[in-house]
Amino acid sequence: MSLLTGLVPGLGMVKGMALTLRRFFAPKATVMYPEMPADVATKFRGRLQLLYDEYGGLKCETCFQCAQACPIECIDMGGMDTKGRFHVHWGPPETYGERREESALRRSGRTVPDRAYEHFAPFDIETVDEILERFDHDPKRMLQILEDTQDTFGFLPVAALKRISERTGAWYATIYGTASYYGHLRFEPPSAKAQSKEVRARRATDQGYLDALGASLGGKSRGDA
Amino acid sequence: MSTILSSAKGWPSILLARAGASKPADLDDAIKAGAFEALRRSVRELGPEGTIAEVKASGLRGRGGAGHLTAAKWQAAAETPAKERYVVANGYGADPATSTDRTLLETDPYAVIEGVAIAAFTIGAETGYISVRASATQAIKGLETAIEAATARNFIGEDALGSGRRVEIEVRPVQGAYMLGEETVLLKALDGKRGQPEQRPPHPATRGFHGAPTVVQNVQTLASVPWIIRHHAKAFGAIGFGAAPGTILVDVRGPERSGVAEVPMGTPLEAIVELGGRFAKGRSLKAVVVGGPTGGILPPSELKTPYTFDDLRSVGAHIGSGSVIAADDRACVVDVARLLTRFSADEACGKTIPCRIGVRRIAEIGERLTTGTSRAGDLDLLVDLSADVVGSALCDHERLATLPMLSGLRYFRDELDAHLLRGECPAGVCRPIRLGATA
Ligand SMILES: Cc1cc2nc3c(=O)[nH]c(=O)nc-3n(C[C@H](O)[C@H](O)[C@H](O)COP(=O)(O)O)c2cc1C
Ligand code: SF4
Ligand code: FES
Repeated sequence: MSLLTGLVPGLGMVKGMALTLRRFFAPKATVMYPEMPADVATKFRGRLQLLYDEYGGLKCETCFQCAQACPIECIDMGGMDTKGRFHVHWGPPETYGERREESALRRSGRTVPDRAYEHFAPFDIETVDEILERFDHDPKRMLQILEDTQDTFGFLPVAALKRISERTGAWYATIYGTASYYGHLRFEPPSAKAQSKEVRARRATDQGYLDALGASLGGKSRGDA
Repeated sequence: MSTILSSAKGWPSILLARAGASKPADLDDAIKAGAFEALRRSVRELGPEGTIAEVKASGLRGRGGAGHLTAAKWQAAAETPAKERYVVANGYGADPATSTDRTLLETDPYAVIEGVAIAAFTIGAETGYISVRASATQAIKGLETAIEAATARNFIGEDALGSGRRVEIEVRPVQGAYMLGEETVLLKALDGKRGQPEQRPPHPATRGFHGAPTVVQNVQTLASVPWIIRHHAKAFGAIGFGAAPGTILVDVRGPERSGVAEVPMGTPLEAIVELGGRFAKGRSLKAVVVGGPTGGILPPSELKTPYTFDDLRSVGAHIGSGSVIAADDRACVVDVARLLTRFSADEACGKTIPCRIGVRRIAEIGERLTTGTSRAGDLDLLVDLSADVVGSALCDHERLATLPMLSGLRYFRDELDAHLLRGECPAGVCRPIRLGATA
């Protein structure tokens, strides 16, 4: 080959251009993070997320316990990069003090003045209570409670989860954890355009697997090429 | 309902004996065929010890994949001191491409119900659950009708068989994840929790549902029990293969036919593949995928392997979901392995690091191979990483998820090398592969 390259003038350049051209049309390997989210497991728990209480306030009391518990110190509540490491801010640091006050108020039983108040969409509390009644308010039947709630509303409204938590005594976080694991449960109406990538991915697995299996095992779908 | 493949002449029929019955959920029909004789014998004659002894003598091993001795589980559950105990029939059928368990539930619900009742009497449980995939509506309806009929005739219920014991059986449809087939995950789902496995031991047999001793058993295992008690352990032991007697359901996908068949344990893989028919002229068998999504990919040279738990493990596959898929020469082994591993990675529960990250990295090695973007040392990484995942995994899922790629490496090294070193896909399946292969 190299002999030929030496003999025919310009062949090297042609080859080079051919490579450039092929690479140009090849799928790009660069992932444009964060515009394109990286491909992580759909059930990956690395997402850091703060929960809101029923008044729309953040439930985080800025107690620093999560920062202390994190074995690789990737959570830093103070927003101060003490060791020059990757860290996470829970909102602007100026609000930490306020949030602590909020918690103190709440603990003392007084109403919390809430700037960011935004009520959950109204929902039919009686229907949820009926479902709970049917399952005896038993947290051990949580999946059936959630499934029936979803059948009624088309999805699991956050306010309904709160109600279920209140009446069954199961922690909201536990219920949320259960609901977010099962592929058939969802938090948005099925029509929601912005259905998360996660939900769509989960829904497609079984069928996607069967289709791909059929195609890659010399099935009809692949043709005889 | 899936097709039931007619099996070779002379193969015994235990699990699918009632296949073809016009009304599988009709109690009178079932009784004519011998249903509940074994329960009566177990309760009235054998008692718990006698029943365990009979099951032990039969050598019955679990059909759910791992092949544990059934009698050992029952004994452990019966011996563990506890206020309550449970029996859970695992009819979930995690592999979306197989329908063995669903077929059994549809053709003979009474065999499973009787098996659950016998297990409940034997270990001292009052409640038995039969968990079924929520989409298997026909099986669920059949089971519900059958349970109602059996309760009305007092085979089960408040005072089952007049023994003074309560044995209630309930159907529990579950759905939403592949991992629900794993026993500790299934128990979590029945308990309304997030479906992630638990460390074993303690095994569910000593600490399971609600912390109580729980016998979790595949539905085929349970359906074999009444037959064993009716025909005696010896007759069962005579079928199949010494270390793994009895029959098992397989889901065969072949060039001409696909469906469920009942085969004696120890049948050579070859005979099972033949149930799927012959390849068209010019096509030939290239590989057999044995065990479902986490199965091994075996070459034709391993077709003599007897279909048993231990023999399949030793060649790098496993019984798993009971699936046996024949792939012809158009299939690319690397592509199939990549596909299976990707499915396993997507379905892994995310609880532990080998699960959440390990399987995903293995899937990526497969994806790099099939797109011509492999890195130096990828095969070493595959071997190392697989060993680490197997060594540190919490549940069997991630251990088994290493099998497709490892068996591909073991038996189809040429094809792997073609992808890796020459950037070629001999089967012509992996399209963009030539990209990285120039210069
Ligand atoms: C990922 C995974 C999926 C499983 N899926 C099933 C299943 O669908 N059905 C089943 O009976 N066992 C399944 N098993 C095996 C169960 O964990 C368990 O061993 C079995 O139900 C016990 O019953 P046996 O002793 O009768 O086999 C699965 C295991 C794993 C690790
Ligand atoms: S403890 Fe910290 S490092 Fe570990 S998974 Fe949670 S957030 Fe990540
Ligand atoms: S699948 Fe997550 S621990 Fe096994």
